[in-house]
Amino acid sequence: MSDVILRSENLYKHFGITTAVNDVSLEFEKGEIHGLIGENGSGKSTFCSTLCGIYPISSGRFLLEGKELRVRSQVEANRHGVSIIVQEMGTLPGLTVAENIFLGEEDKFMHGVVKNTGAMNREAQRLLESYGFKHIIASKMIDNYSFEDRKLIEIIKATYFTPKIVVVDETTTALSQSGREELFTVMDRIKNGGNTVIFISHDLEEVIDHTDRISILRDGSLVGTVKSSETSADELKRLMVGRELTNRYYRTDYGQSVSDEIVLSVDNVSVPGEIQDISFRLHKGEILGIGGLSECGMHETGKAIFGASYGRKGSVTLKGGYEVKSIPGAIKHSIAYASKDRDTESVIIANSIRDNICLPSLADMSNHALLNNGKLDSFAKKFAELMSVKMTGIDQYVSALSGGNKQKVVLSRWLGKDSDILVLDSPTRGIDVKVKADIYALMSELKARGKSIIMISEELQELLGMSDRILIMKDGRINGEFIRNQNLGEKDLITKMV
Amino acid sequence: MDNPSAAATIKRQKTHIFLRGLISFFGFIGIVIVFSILTNGRIIRPDNLSLMFSQVYVLLIASMGVFLIMTVGGLDFSQGSILGLASIIFCWVSNYSIVLGVIAAVLAGAAMGAFNGFFHVKFKIASFIVTICTMYFFRGLCKYITTNGPVPASTNVMMLNETWFKLLLTGIMLLLGFIVWHFTRVGCDLRAIGAGETAARFSGSRPDLLKFLVFMVSGAITGFASFINVIKVGSITGTAGSQLETQILIALVLGGMPISGGAKARFPNIIIGTLTYCVLEMSLPMVFPIPATQQLVKGIIFLIVVALTIDHESLRVIK
Repeated sequence: MSDVILRSENLYKHFGITTAVNDVSLEFEKGEIHGLIGENGSGKSTFCSTLCGIYPISSGRFLLEGKELRVRSQVEANRHGVSIIVQEMGTLPGLTVAENIFLGEEDKFMHGVVKNTGAMNREAQRLLESYGFKHIIASKMIDNYSFEDRKLIEIIKATYFTPKIVVVDETTTALSQSGREELFTVMDRIKNGGNTVIFISHDLEEVIDHTDRISILRDGSLVGTVKSSETSADELKRLMVGRELTNRYYRTDYGQSVSDEIVLSVDNVSVPGEIQDISFRLHKGEILGIGGLSECGMHETGKAIFGASYGRKGSVTLKGGYEVKSIPGAIKHSIAYASKDRDTESVIIANSIRDNICLPSLADMSNHALLNNGKLDSFAKKFAELMSVKMTGIDQYVSALSGGNKQKVVLSRWLGKDSDILVLDSPTRGIDVKVKADIYALMSELKARGKSIIMISEELQELLGMSDRILIMKDGRINGEFIRNQNLGEKDLITKMV
Repeated sequence: MDNPSAAATIKRQKTHIFLRGLISFFGFIGIVIVFSILTNGRIIRPDNLSLMFSQVYVLLIASMGVFLIMTVGGLDFSQGSILGLASIIFCWVSNYSIVLGVIAAVLAGAAMGAFNGFFHVKFKIASFIVTICTMYFFRGLCKYITTNGPVPASTNVMMLNETWFKLLLTGIMLLLGFIVWHFTRVGCDLRAIGAGETAARFSGSRPDLLKFLVFMVSGAITGFASFINVIKVGSITGTAGSQLETQILIALVLGGMPISGGAKARFPNIIIGTLTYCVLEMSLPMVFPIPATQQLVKGIIFLIVVALTIDHESLRVIK
């Protein structure tokens, strides 16, 4: 038996009446990159969160180098040599880059009660440069940096002290290709230093390429562990889902004509500092993809259509001549919007599934301003079940759901609203294959019902696979347009992106 | 979910959720029992109960408005001053007509609330800062007006000082509040804003408008409460209504209202909280007859009750 550095023994974690981690016993070796995969809600993130002290363990234990590890916070976990890079934002706004990197470790720079900020900044800058992130300045506020840069800063924060275990939880979805390469380099460096990486990702190819072994979780239980060199994406999918998945994933139709009927006109829309002079038409029953690099302005374009941008110029006009100027107006006139920033802009996480689903439809369900609460309950239940949200009941808080199930709640509410135009920003970000397939199937179905969809995405395959037409944006402007076509490839899109 | 330990967990959790919902209620019952014993049953004697009820009305009505403000995550420290100023306006107008007086008091309250809401929303100042400032401002006006002596109401007003009348008005207000909270979209919208303002905005709520309105409505409700206040006291001095704001806040917290607002705000928080507060307020002087020690004991007891009844779970999850 080779060196086992970390072992979990009969680990359980319950959330209310849900068992998120169910009797998991798993071994991690020294100097390996260990992949952890499973569908949304299979317990991967929860397993790692109990390891890092984010959630308390219900029963069972972790053994680090043979000694029991029981930590109550991330800082404490760091002291024992365990760190985590999380799925959503793990940096704190309002602090500098250096303060974020050394959060909880300020003692190193204290002289009595005085903090030596200069020394802290110099040390942080040295780390930034040693990782090759020279464009980031340690003394600047973290708010000045993009989502992607903040992820890079988190990588440093989690790894600079050469921890024995580093958990990388769904980090790649937030990163562009170059950012991913940086991350993989760091992971290899940790491995070569004799330490261990636990790598969670939904991108199975990526997991196979960059890990030594892979463990599969399903419904909180361990299904098995396989050697990465001896497995395939298809085998992993089967293990994750517990049955064979059909190959149908994206749309397979080509050459179908789209209706001439224009349902939405975007004319000369600008948002200061974000997008400039955007104009396009959306047709009935069309899936319009918008792609580009993450900072190209495509996300802001989605908000501008929904009336959510501040300081927007230009016009967004619907078929009947209605001009969209505010969110309530957009919702009333049948526009739906799902944000890339799911936890802040799409769902109210500290609220029930019921309220989240009903909120946009309250006006429709009011009878002379009065609501029937029984009707609200059955409405929420109907659409949550239609989308098969994995929940204990509609009173459950959204914060307890996994990423994929949160997205299902978002889609349920707009299905309930029966919106005709859906603006979906990164609809499958951080979502596993099965839910992804569900979302694509839903999009095809909505298209068939004559609904129009604007899909904003950083995933080129998704754009190519699902869109009738693709707009590529660059530096806040539209830089290219492609019609659905079998011969269209990622390279064609990339030439217009950079 | 097929093994026995999971089933047991489900059962335990359901019981837990049930208990959470009732904890403030049990707190109230517990306090009534404890103080009934400590005072040898004096607090539940009819004469004491009617005295207690006479203090409940104003607090109960005014708490409804602050309940709405706290649901969206705000606080209001100017309620006492609003009550004072609205009472003065009622007194003036009551000499012409009592009905007009009530309308004037409600409008004056709404105007003061709108003033709070405007500064809070338009200039993005935290509500507790705005309302601490207006607390002084409105109180200053009160004192200025009453420099030459208290402002009396029309003598006809005193004739309304009947328990059934005050009880009826309070009941109507509570019923109205309950209907609006429970059977219109107001409750849903306000809870959503308190739980996550950005996401609520993206769901079609109008946080800025609703926050402004909530302050205005809260002022109007307190304006109405000033009518009952004047019925009780007859004439208004410069300090009328002072301390009301702290009484409201402590009552709501005792009733289980989460301080950060949001999805866990429940209408019964108002009623249970106000009643708990009034029982404590009534009983303490009986148990601790020396005034100097009363304040001290009151502070300690509030702290203990709040620590026992507050929902730690939700505070950890929310903010």
